[in-house]
Order: sequence, then C-alpha cells, then structure tokens
Amino acid sequence: MSLLHALWDGDGLVLWADGWCLVDRQTPVDQPLMHPFTLGRQDLRHCLTSRQRLPQAPLQPVDRLLSLPSRDLRRSRRRRGRSRENGSGSEWEVWSGLPLLAGEAIPEQCQWWPWRIEGLKLALADLPGWLNGLPLSGEHPDLGDELRWLAHLQRWCLSLMARGRWLPVAEATGDHCYARWQPLLNREDDRYRLETMALHMPQALLSGHDPLNTLACRRPEQQRLQVAGIVAALLDTQMRVAFTPLEVGLDDLLDSWQQALASTEGRLGANADGVERLQMATSHWRQGVTGQLAPARACLELQAPTPQQGDQDDNHWQLRFGLQAAIDPSLWLDAEAIWAAGDNAIHIGEIPVEKPSQLLLEGLGRALSAFEPLERGLEGATPSIMDLTPAEVFVLVRTASRRLRDLGVGVKLPDTLSGGLAGRIGLSIQADLSPESQGFSLGESLQWRWTLMIGGQPITLNQLERLSAQKSPLVSHGGQWVELRPGDIKTAEKFCLEEPRFSLEDALRLAGNDLETLQRLPVHRFEAGPRLQQVLEQYHHHKQPDPLPAPEGFCGQLRSYQERGLGWLAFLYRFGQGACLADDMGLGKTIQLLAFLQYLKVQKELQRPVLLVCPTSVMTNWGREAQQFTPGLRVIEHYGSRRPSTAAALASALCHVDLVLTSYGLLQRDLAILGSYGWQGVVLDEAQAIKNSTSKQSAAAREVSRLGQKPCFCIALTGTPVENRVGEIWPLMNFLNPRVLGEEGFFRQRYRLPIERYGDMASLRDLRRRVGPFILRRLKTDQSIISDLPEKIELNEWCGLSDEQRRLYSKTVDDTLEVVARAPLGERHGQVLGLLTKLKQICNHPALALQEQEVSQDFGRRSAKLQRLEEILDELMAVGDRALLFTQFARWGHLLKQYLEQRFQGDIPFLHGGSSKAERQGMVDRFQQDPRGPQLFLLSLKAGGVGLNLTRASHVIHIDRWWNPAVENQATDRAYRIGQTNRVMVHKFITSGSLEENIDRMIREKARLAEDIIGGREGWLAGLEINDIKELVSLQ
Amino acid sequence: MNTLNKKAGQDAMGEQPWWVAQWMDLINSYRYKRRLERAWAYMHEGHVLSIRFEGRRVHARVQGTGKDPYKVKLWLDTLSNEDWGYVLDALSQKARWTAQLLAGVMPQDIERAFAASGRCLFPWELREVRSECSCPDKANPCKHIIAVYYLMGDRFSEDPFVLFQLRGRTRQQLLDQLAQRRISTTTEQGVKVQTGMLPPQARRTWSYGEDMDPELVVITPALEGELGVDEAGPLPVAPDPHNPDANHLFLHHLHEQGQRIGRRAMGQAMGANISP
Repeated sequence: MSLLHALWDGDGLVLWADGWCLVDRQTPVDQPLMHPFTLGRQDLRHCLTSRQRLPQAPLQPVDRLLSLPSRDLRRSRRRRGRSRENGSGSEWEVWSGLPLLAGEAIPEQCQWWPWRIEGLKLALADLPGWLNGLPLSGEHPDLGDELRWLAHLQRWCLSLMARGRWLPVAEATGDHCYARWQPLLNREDDRYRLETMALHMPQALLSGHDPLNTLACRRPEQQRLQVAGIVAALLDTQMRVAFTPLEVGLDDLLDSWQQALASTEGRLGANADGVERLQMATSHWRQGVTGQLAPARACLELQAPTPQQGDQDDNHWQLRFGLQAAIDPSLWLDAEAIWAAGDNAIHIGEIPVEKPSQLLLEGLGRALSAFEPLERGLEGATPSIMDLTPAEVFVLVRTASRRLRDLGVGVKLPDTLSGGLAGRIGLSIQADLSPESQGFSLGESLQWRWTLMIGGQPITLNQLERLSAQKSPLVSHGGQWVELRPGDIKTAEKFCLEEPRFSLEDALRLAGNDLETLQRLPVHRFEAGPRLQQVLEQYHHHKQPDPLPAPEGFCGQLRSYQERGLGWLAFLYRFGQGACLADDMGLGKTIQLLAFLQYLKVQKELQRPVLLVCPTSVMTNWGREAQQFTPGLRVIEHYGSRRPSTAAALASALCHVDLVLTSYGLLQRDLAILGSYGWQGVVLDEAQAIKNSTSKQSAAAREVSRLGQKPCFCIALTGTPVENRVGEIWPLMNFLNPRVLGEEGFFRQRYRLPIERYGDMASLRDLRRRVGPFILRRLKTDQSIISDLPEKIELNEWCGLSDEQRRLYSKTVDDTLEVVARAPLGERHGQVLGLLTKLKQICNHPALALQEQEVSQDFGRRSAKLQRLEEILDELMAVGDRALLFTQFARWGHLLKQYLEQRFQGDIPFLHGGSSKAERQGMVDRFQQDPRGPQLFLLSLKAGGVGLNLTRASHVIHIDRWWNPAVENQATDRAYRIGQTNRVMVHKFITSGSLEENIDRMIREKARLAEDIIGGREGWLAGLEINDIKELVSLQ
Repeated sequence: MNTLNKKAGQDAMGEQPWWVAQWMDLINSYRYKRRLERAWAYMHEGHVLSIRFEGRRVHARVQGTGKDPYKVKLWLDTLSNEDWGYVLDALSQKARWTAQLLAGVMPQDIERAFAASGRCLFPWELREVRSECSCPDKANPCKHIIAVYYLMGDRFSEDPFVLFQLRGRTRQQLLDQLAQRRISTTTEQGVKVQTGMLPPQARRTWSYGEDMDPELVVITPALEGELGVDEAGPLPVAPDPHNPDANHLFLHHLHEQGQRIGRRAMGQAMGANISP
C-alpha cells in the first residue's frame, strides 16, 4: 500500500507518496537520483482520488529534492586495503543504496542522501481546508505521520483563532512591507504546545528545505522557529479570508493596512513614511504582550512564610525571580544564577538558553504592567527576590497571576494556592471491610473514618469556623496557606451534618481515579485497610489476579497465567460483575473458561446450565475441547434441525446439562425460546460478533441474559484488542455490565465522538479506567507470559462442514467405495489415493473439489473451514501480526488468493510451483522488508516448504493436513527459525469427524503407521481392507 | 496594562504618555501663543508632508505658501561617548530600567539615569532643540518648525526611543551595550552551549507518535476581554488629526471581527476531521 507524505514548502504543501517495490540499489552519478519508491504524479493523483483525499483546489506539479536517511548497500569494502596501497581513492566503491521507508527500522548510524521526488503542490490558501478534512487520530495506514502532525497543528490554529490569539502587524520582508496576522504564542499552554510540536515534528516534513543544509545538521532552536513559522503561515492565510475590512471611517493609513490584511498577498503600498510608522507602532504594540520565542520564560515564584519564622513573621511572603523552561515548567533557574552568568548561555536542566539575563529582564519588564508591586523589587542591579504584603499576595493569587501568564510570564504559586482542588477543603478517608464481610458486594457499607482536610492538614469544623472568622481571604492552617471560599465551607458543614455512608462501590471509585469527590468534597487522601486493599488492587488490576489452581476433574495443565485468568473470572463472578477475557489468540481462552465452569461445578455452584454462544465455525472446537479437558461437564449443542422448538422441549432437553452451545444466528432466531430459560450464565465467544450495536444479532446476545428473570453471570471472550476500539466497547459492556457506560446516546457523546474524531486521550483514559476492571487482556509478548509459553505453540483449529460440504463428502465416499470394492486389487491403490485427495479438497471447499475456477458469490459461506480461517485472520491482522498459510493444493491457493484479496482489500502474495525465481524472491523480500507489506503470505507446501526465511510471520496456518508431519514441521520452520523474536503460533485446521481428524489421530496415536507415512511409502494403503478404508474416510 | 499602550494611542485630547506630555509642555512654553495656534492649525491641515528620522536628525518637509515645500531640520545636542558611559553605568544599576526598555516601555524616571552624566534625555528648554527651516521667515522657531514639533509628539507616542536616537544611541545600541555590561560584570563563566548544528535525528524522520493535545478536543472561545487585541490595548499609531476616532474605531472593529472569526473557527473545528 502506498503511503502519502507531505513536505512543507514555505508557501504551500507538497504532497507525494511512496510504496515498496523491488528495486536494485541505486548509485548517484552526477546528480541526485529519483527516489526509487516514489509514486509518479499520475499514480499520486490516482491514489489521492481513490482515497477521497484529492483537494478540490488545483494542484501544481513540482519536483523536489529531499534528504532522507538511506541504507548503505555497498557490497564490499574489500578493496580498501588495495586502494591504500595504490594511494588513490578511485577504487573505492562509490556510494550506492536505497532510501529508508517509513516504518523501516532506521539504524543508529545512517547516511543522508538527496533523492528527487515528484509531487503535487497545494497552495497555502487552500491548505487549511484540506487539513481540516484529515483524521486526527486512529489507524490510517495510507497517511504518513507528517499529515497527522499537520492536522494537529491546524487544529491548534483553529483554537488560536477561536481564542483570538493573534495580532495584526506590518512587517518588512525584503524590500517590501506586508500586513500580516501573527499568532500570539505567549500563553503558557501555547508555548508548551509549540515546544512539543517542534520536538515531535516528523522531520520528513522539512527534509526538502535547503537540502544541503539539512543533509548536514539541524538546530533545535531553528526547529522551534520553523514550526512557529508554519503556524503563522496557516493562521495568516485563514485570517485573511475570514477578516472583513471596515467600510468607512478609517484614515488612509489604517485603511490601507486593513485592506492589505484582507488581501491575498498583503503587500502594503504607497505611503512609505506611513508604512514605516505602522511597522514601528505595531512592533511596540506586540512587544507589550509577547516576547521572543525562547526556550525559557521569566517566572515569578511565590513563597509562603514558613512556620519556623514564628508568629511575628507570619506575613513574610516572598517573590523569587527566575527562568522557567517552556517545555517543562518544573525546570527552574534562580535569578542569582542568571545574573552570575550575565548574558552568557546557560542550561536549565538539559535545555540551553541563550541570553538568559536579557530574557529575564524582558519578561520582568512586561510583568511590571500586570503586577505593579513588582516595581519595588527591581530597584537593584541584580534583584532575585522581594517581599510582598498579604494584600499584594492576594492580588497576585486572585487576578494578576492569570494576567501575567497571558503576557508570557510564568507564575509559580504554592500548591495549596494554585487554584486546583488540592488547596480546597476536602476529606481524608480511612476504610476497610467489616470483619464479617468478604468484600463481594458492591453496595455493602464499609467501616470508615473521615476527617476534613485543607492544605494537606486535618482540620475540625470548629477550626474552620475560627479561620473563616478572620475575614481574611488567605489564611494559614498548620503551616500551609490556603484560600478560604465561602461555598466550600458550606459544603463541608453540610457534609458533617449528614454523616453519609461509604460503600464498597465508593471505595472502588476513589481507588481508581485521582481527584474524586464524595458528596462534592474532594477526597485528598484515601487509605484502604489491608483487606479492602486486596480487593481494590485485584479489581483495578494493580496487581496480577490471584491464581486459582485447576479444579478437580479438569483434565489438563493450566499454565500459571491461565490459573490467574481462572482466578480473575472467579473474582468477578463473586462480585456479580461481567468479565471479558480478551487474551491474545492462542493463550487458551477456551481452556480458562472450561476450567472456570468446572470450578463452579466442583464448588456445587453450577445449578443451572450455562449458554455459550459462538460462531458456527467454532462450535465443533468447543465440543472437542470440552470433551478433552472437562469430560465431567455435560455439553449439548442447540443446533441443527432437530433442536428443541419450544420452551418446554428446551427445558426437558436441558435436564442435567451443564453447557449448551449455540450459534449467534440461532440465538437471534430462537431468542424467544432461549431467552425464556433461566440460564446460570451466558458466555459469548468471539464476542466481537456483537460489535455492531444496531444489528439484531447484537441485540439478541445482549438481551438473552436479561430475559431469564434469574441472576445470570455474563462472560465475553474475544481475542481482539477491545479496549482500543471505542465503537465496539459499548455493546460489549452493555452485555457485561450495563451500568458502567450507561445508554448508548450518552456513550456516543461522552466518549465515542471525542475519542474517535479528535483522539481525545483524556476521554480515552477515563473510558479505560471505567471498563478496565472488567477486561483482562494478556499478550503473548508480555514478559510474564512469554516465559510461560513454549517457543512454538501448536493449536488445533477444529471446524465442521457446511451442508454442501457434508452432502458432497458423503456422496463421494459412497460412490467411490462402491467402485473401489469392485475394482481389482492393483487399481485399488490409485483409487483410494484419489478418494483421499478429493475428500481433503471437499474439507477445504466444495469449489476445489468441483474444479470451479472463479470465486462464486457465496464463496465464503460454502466452507466452514474458510469461515473459521477468516475469523482467525481477522483477529491476527487486527493486532498487526503476520501469517504464513500453507496448502498442498495450488488451486486452493489461487482461489484463496482471489477471495481473500477481495475480503481484506489488499495484495496477498501466493508462492507456488509455477512462480519464477524472480517472483519468489520478490514476494519473499516484500513480505520480509516492506514496512507496509502484506500480513498474509500464501504458500504451496511443496514450493514454499523449504529454503525460505520468513521470520516476519508469527503465525503459521496449515489449512489442510499432510500425511507427513515432518513436511508440515519443515514448513512451519520457515517462520520458526533463527531471527524469529516472537512466539510462533501454529494453527492446524482439522475438519472434525472427517478424514482429516482420522489422519490427525493416526499421526498422533499410531506411531507405526505414522512411520510408514513419514517414510513416504504409501504402500500400506493398498494393504487396507475395504472396511478399514471405510473407517478412515467415513463421516462420523 | 503596559503604560506605553495604555496611554499612547488615546486621542489627542485625552491623556498622553508622559514623554509626549513633556514634549508638548516644552512647545507650549513658547511665548508667542498666536504662532503656536497657527502652527497647530497648520499641522492639522496636513501641511507637514513628511518626517524622517535620519541618524541624529529629523528631516521634515512642510508645505508653505510657496510652490516647493520648506525643508525643516531638527536636532538635539548628542551625548559624548563618555557621557553615554555614565548613563549606561547608571542604567545598569537598576534592573527595572533595562526591563522596561526591553519591553518597549519608556521608564518614567529615565532622567535620573541621565542625571548621572550631568546631562538629560529631554530638552528642558526650547532652545535646546536646534532647528533650521528653509522658509524666508527670520523668526526661529517659525510656524513650520513648530508644526513639526507638534507632529513629533505623535511620533514619540509611537516610538519613544526616537529620543535616544536624537541623543546619539538607538534603542538597540543601548540594549546591546547594556548586555555587554552584564557580561563584563559576570562572576561566572556561562556554560558553553553548542550553538552549531546538531546531527539530524534519523528516527524522527517519519514518525509522530503523539496523540492530540486533549485541550484541543473541544475548541473553546476567548473569555470576555481576552482576545489578543483586547490585551494588547490601544494601538500606538498616532491618530490622524482629521480623524482622531479612527484608531478607536479600528480596534473596536478588530474586536468584533475577532469574536466573529472565533465563532467561525469553532464551527469549523466542530465539523472538521470527519473521515469520508
């Protein structure tokens, strides 16, 4: 997939794109080379159009030179020795290599080379509108990060305009004078934004700017100014369009200025004398409110009297002067150090600051206009501190500090006075579970004690009243200065009178968030007793869940993270809260759920059956796994035409049953029957199936647990990163714990829009905090997990047959066996082999057996195996994994390629016996190297099974079984070999009840036969009796 | 609010910055009131065609009764280097003076720094202002010169540091020399800051991993009186004598436009960034 890039061009933006392709290393001759991966203009335009990103404004074709980090691909330096002998450099191999692409690992030491690109230039005036249409967040594999950075910058510009942070000025550039709109970046938050935007700017955006210069080096100072320049240009062009000049009433000078401000170019003509005056006047005007864009600003720090000074000195407030770093307000340098350095450069923390004393003086000069008492403090030559009276302190705290910050002067106030909740009257709470409680019900009251608190010190109501009687806005309590607000005192009094109760639910809320309030009082301190602490930590995942060993009757081993998963399911079950187990694929969600059900059974808590809803394609898998791991559970399927059709029939069918499996489709169809039953629990497997909240399937799944009129636990299993998909999280939580996120409309306004559209991290954090306790997701890359996993994990993917497959399979078996029985012994061998091949093809897809060449309309629905494959691919692609898929049938590979390319909208390479050597190398290189390359690689078992190195894949899928496990293992080793840094998951598809299952069993159980098979001798087939053959191939 | 800004741009009849007031007082001390009135009217009628500050002199062209405008020159006695040395010494003794000069404000008590040299910044008497006019009038100051005087008052309100220039130092020279003095009096060597080029950060070539600043999610308007133009205060452009209200009118217009454009920007922000 090609990636769209942007290059800042001073008066516009050059759009260009690159895409991986197979090219040889490039050697520059006498002029810079064409960037070998760049798209031609035609393709670029096409790419913009197809992604609906083509600006409506005209685009100008341009060529630009970029200096980009490049990979040195000189093949050898063997000649070095010889060239030294010859005393000439001529035999040094000239530089050759390739530019590095976005997403490729950039080596520590890399070289910068100039490359030519073809681009389309969008004029400055048309740029803001286009940027407004770009996404601010989310995954957009077609857009380079430069564009997201620019979209953020433009959003900042909109904010600057909304807040009126600009001044019009007249400025000379070259020989002419221009009227411009300049952004005012004097406020603390805007200055901080400038620093961070400059710090994080993808440098490709400016890589075309004076290439020779950038080739060598860049200055951080320059970067800040460059970013400020882009902001200025964007703001200016938008203000010009938005501004309407006044029609009458201005004198000539002002009128010519405002006309220029509204014009496209902004040139100020004629009246040279007037223009010069305007320039001077607007420059002074601007200086009054903003300084230069330096890495630090002047800052005033208020220091409260310290208690040691005794009561007489109680009002000894001091104001210290210093410099504060723009990017980190906590970095501070005292004025004394600055005077000592004079105008020599200094460091604040790591940040170099030039002309520090001038910076400090300039800021203090502006500060004077906002806080007059400062004048007194600046009488000396090198002042660094001054005294303030309490009245002056109050003015500073209440009004002047805000105004000072607006002028770009930092103000540091004591924490208790800086206006946040920290300085306000609040509560200190200690609580624990009552001795008889187990901590398992949210509403239960806790044992608790509280005290009022202000400025970090406890305070009684009496003391509070005495303080407020002082009639002073700033009071000292226990050595801390605080601002008393009448409203706060009333709230505190009201709280004391009411004596509220404190529930476990409150405790969970307080422990999860900072700065929570209880009855409108901020909670400054919350201490949980040891028993409560246990519950809180577990709930908020502050520690790993306590493990629960595999229950009696569970046939198998639980890995230690699985024991923790089991413990966690049991923990939330005790709370009566729904749980979503979202472990990475292959970590064994099925096993954990089965262990949990077995645990309930052993605890004698499994009184009624549990309903498990899953996609049809995995129903077989569930049955198999339950049989294997929890033979003690009685499992039935609610499936097929003979399923109960009335509530009564269902009830009688469920007698003594523990687990009922059904599909999402049937749940929706049979909701009336299934909903009427009082399930003990409802489990949704592959719970992403309910992500679309408006679908009937989703509604049915969410309703079924509530229709039954009996308490019912809810569990969801999914392998997709649910917590990152804001749109999908509401239906899930609505199923699990409907109270947590409320109604869908509220959820959309509060979370979904801010997060999806604007990438609002604050809302996302809040959302995660809310849903966090109910989602457990472990990744196979987690350190604690990885040590627990083998390097190669083999998973059997059991799947069933579609009706068409089933019919075709039975018919083929019946027809062929008849023929085989009548055939002479010599021919039997070939016929049996042919039958086996055909059956394996049917298990893959009927189209394969029927020799269809094209992918039919209902291709996906005709094969149960394909459905399961799609689910697995969905899941692994969603987390960015890569997979190899092996098949023994080349034609199956072609069909899959055709179908999956459509389904996943992208190239999927297929390496088979017919691929040429160059094609093979191209596919392998692309899969291994293209940063945005395909996530799936199809290979035929024979052609791709040996010799290749495909370590970028962490999944290997064997879609059909081969007789010889060694061949499969060899193929698996394409991914699992030196260079592989991940755990490799091997998915082996097995159609249950069919020939494939029998092959699998034979490979596992019948060692002798297997050896025959491994030996590649298929003679044993000929020796089989007709009954043995029948047993091997018949559907069970 | 900045003293310069608070006072400078207000209309001619209102309160003026102190240095403008002082300049006007000087002219108004002239004995021949009739001539003053005529010159005032002259200025108001736009007879002063141009004023240029060239180095230490002011050059003006005034349209008199003749065909060609008269050339007027004005200058003050400059301070010697030695005198400036005293002034700089005195200025660097009080941080506030440098601070205000850096922030574009003329300190109220600037003369105290000049007193150290025994000189002054402002002329105390009219005769300290030297002048020449090419008109036939023998009297000095003639009405052309006085008209230029008046207009210079406006110029001072736009740029008070012109006075320094007339005394022999531009504001920038003054600030540079003050900075020099700070360096020469330092007690410590500053750290060596690498001012040259830094190697490019290859890893940041393509990637920008940051999420949008949460503060930019909801785009909010300015609070009342917090537009940049409101904070900056009156425009220090000397008002046109024919249209003394124009400055005020324009600022008011900018304020209204600012609010309108702000609402527009909020609207754009709300509708923006919806992926197709």
